[in-house]
Amino acid sequence: MRVSELVNEDASLISRRCWSDAGVYALEKRGIFGKSWLFLGHDSQIRVPGDFVQAYMCETPIILSRGQDGGIYANINSCTHRGLPVCRADHGNTKRFVCPYHNWAYSVEGTLLTIPQESEVCHKPDKSQLGLKRVPRVEVWRGMIFGSFDENIIPLSDYLGDMRFYLDAFFDRFPAGIEFMGAPQRWVINANWKLPVENQLGDVNHGAFLHSAIIPREAQDVIEKLGYSVVTTPGHGATFRLMPADAPVDDVAWGMEGMGGIFGGDEIQNYLREIQAQAAERVGDLRARMKGLTYGIYPNLSFLWSNTSFKVSHPRGPGKVEYWSWAVVPSDAPDHIKQVLRTNYSSFFGPAGILEQEDAEVWSQQFLGSNIDFADDRPYFYGLGLGEEKTHPDLPGLVSVTANEFYARHFFTRWRDDLRAVEGAL
Amino acid sequence: MSEQSLDVAPEEQRGLERFYFHEARLLDNRQYRQWLALLSQDIRYLMPARVNVQVNNRERGQEDMISVERELEGADSMGCPHREENYIVLALRAERAYKINSWSEHPPARTRRIVGNIELLARNGEKRSVLSNFLLYYTRPGNENVIYSGQRRDTLLSQPDGFSLERREVVLDYANIELPTLGLLF
Repeated sequence: MRVSELVNEDASLISRRCWSDAGVYALEKRGIFGKSWLFLGHDSQIRVPGDFVQAYMCETPIILSRGQDGGIYANINSCTHRGLPVCRADHGNTKRFVCPYHNWAYSVEGTLLTIPQESEVCHKPDKSQLGLKRVPRVEVWRGMIFGSFDENIIPLSDYLGDMRFYLDAFFDRFPAGIEFMGAPQRWVINANWKLPVENQLGDVNHGAFLHSAIIPREAQDVIEKLGYSVVTTPGHGATFRLMPADAPVDDVAWGMEGMGGIFGGDEIQNYLREIQAQAAERVGDLRARMKGLTYGIYPNLSFLWSNTSFKVSHPRGPGKVEYWSWAVVPSDAPDHIKQVLRTNYSSFFGPAGILEQEDAEVWSQQFLGSNIDFADDRPYFYGLGLGEEKTHPDLPGLVSVTANEFYARHFFTRWRDDLRAVEGAL
Repeated sequence: MSEQSLDVAPEEQRGLERFYFHEARLLDNRQYRQWLALLSQDIRYLMPARVNVQVNNRERGQEDMISVERELEGADSMGCPHREENYIVLALRAERAYKINSWSEHPPARTRRIVGNIELLARNGEKRSVLSNFLLYYTRPGNENVIYSGQRRDTLLSQPDGFSLERREVVLDYANIELPTLGLLF
C-alpha cells in the first residue's frame, strides 16, 4: 500500500487504513512525530528549579523539568544503562532522578551524576556521554512548551504561524496569562489518535447531533449564524463565534457558558465580566468579540475555549490513544475562583465529562469501522464544502462555515505529505 | 482514616445496609429517577483525580509516605478532580438515560454492583458519616467489559423515613483511566 492510495488528491476521500494500519502508524511515528513540534507542557507546571512533570512525544516518555539554572529541559525518561524509566511520579520537585535497577543517578537537567558500580572497575565510563537523551529542540511560546526530535525544524513561532493570532485571543485576555491545574487526566480510549484531533480541530458540527441530548438546537443555530472555521496552516485550525458588536457582555464573556460560570453566582460571573471588560483593550475589538469553540495545533494538540482545556492525543498504536487533558484557568484568579472555573472543563469534558463520554464512544466505534474487511473500496467521504473556503479581510488564513470539512482535508493533505516524505525510508 | 467504625447495634447497621442495597438495586435496574429521590437537594457529589505521587524522602518509613490521601486531587486541592457536581448535574445525567438520542447509553450498559464494607464512622446530629466499597461490573456493546473498583465516602442524613444522601466522594482505584467513562452514577 502506498501513501498516495490512502488520501486522494484533494483529500476528499480518506482510506479506512489511515486509521487502523500498523504500517501507516509506523510511518506516522517517523514522518510526523519525529518531525513536528510536539506539546510538552506549560510554564506554570514547572515554576521553580527541580520541578518536573511527565510528558510524552508519541509513545516516548519525556521528563520535562526546570533546571537549576532556571532553564527548561526535556529528556527521554529512560536510563542509559538498561532503559528503565528513572522518573515514576506524575509531577514533583527533585534534585535527582534515580534508576531503580542499579541506581544510576541523573540531575534534573538529565546529566548522569553517579554510577554506583563505577568504583569497582578500572576503566571509568565517560559519564558526560551517558546522560539521559535530550530532546534536541525545546522552545516556548506564551508559556506553552514544545519539543521536537528534528534538530532542523523551523522555529516554533513560525511553526505556529497565524494560529498565534487566534491563540492570543485567549492567552492575551488574561493579564497574568493562564495556568494548568494539577496532573493531566489520562484517559485510555480504544481509538486512533487522529480522531480526537480532528474532532477538536474543527468538527463542531457533530455537537448538535451526537450530543443532542445535552446541547440544545439553539446553540447550533448560533454556530450556524455566527460561526467561523479557519485554517491558518494545513493542520492548524480554529472555530469560533464572532459575536455582534452590540452583544450583551454575558453572551460574549469567556467562561459564562460552562457549568462553573452558570452555577458560580455573582462573584464568578462578575469576575468573568471584568475580564471581558478589558478584552478589547488587550486583544483588540475584533478578537474581543471572539467566542472560541475548538482549536487545533498539528499534529496532536487541541484546545477548547468554553470548556477551557488543553488536550494531547498520545498514540498507543493504531487503535489506542492515551488522551491527556488539563483544566486551564487565569493565572491570577483567586484559588477559590480557579476551583469553580475548572468545572467548566470537568463537567463536560475529560473522562467524566457528560459530553466527552459520548465522543469517546464514537471514537472507539469509528476505529471498529476502520478496521473491517471488504470495505476498502469505500473510503470515508471528506468532501463537505469542497473548495468553498476563502480568504477574509480581517481573519488570517482560509475561512469558511463550520460545516465545511476543509480543516480535515488540510490536515490530511499535510499528513499525506509528511508520510510521503519518509515512505521509502522504512 | 484509621479509626475503627462505631460499635453500632445490628438494627442500625441493618438500616444502613438496607439503604445501600436498595440504592444499588435502583442503579442496576436503571431506575435513576428513583435514585435521585434518595439525594438531598444540596448534595455535593465528588470524585477526586488520583495521581502517581512523588515519594517524600522525609516521610520514609512512615505510613504517610504511601497514604491514599496523598494521591487524591480532591475538591479542596488546586488540581483537577474528575467530578464536582450538584443535584442539577446529577439530574442531567440521570435524565440522559431516558432520551433516545443519548447515544452512549443506547443500548444501555449492563451493570451489577456489589456494595460492601459498610462502616459507620461518625454520628453528628442527623448526619452519618459512612464508608462503603463497591465493585461494579460494566458491559456495553462495542466496549470491553470492565470492572470499576472504588470506595464511597458518604454523608447521609437520617430522616424519619430513612436516609438521604448529602455528600458523596467516590475514590476510584485508577490513575490512568482505562474505563469507558467516569460519568456513571456510583
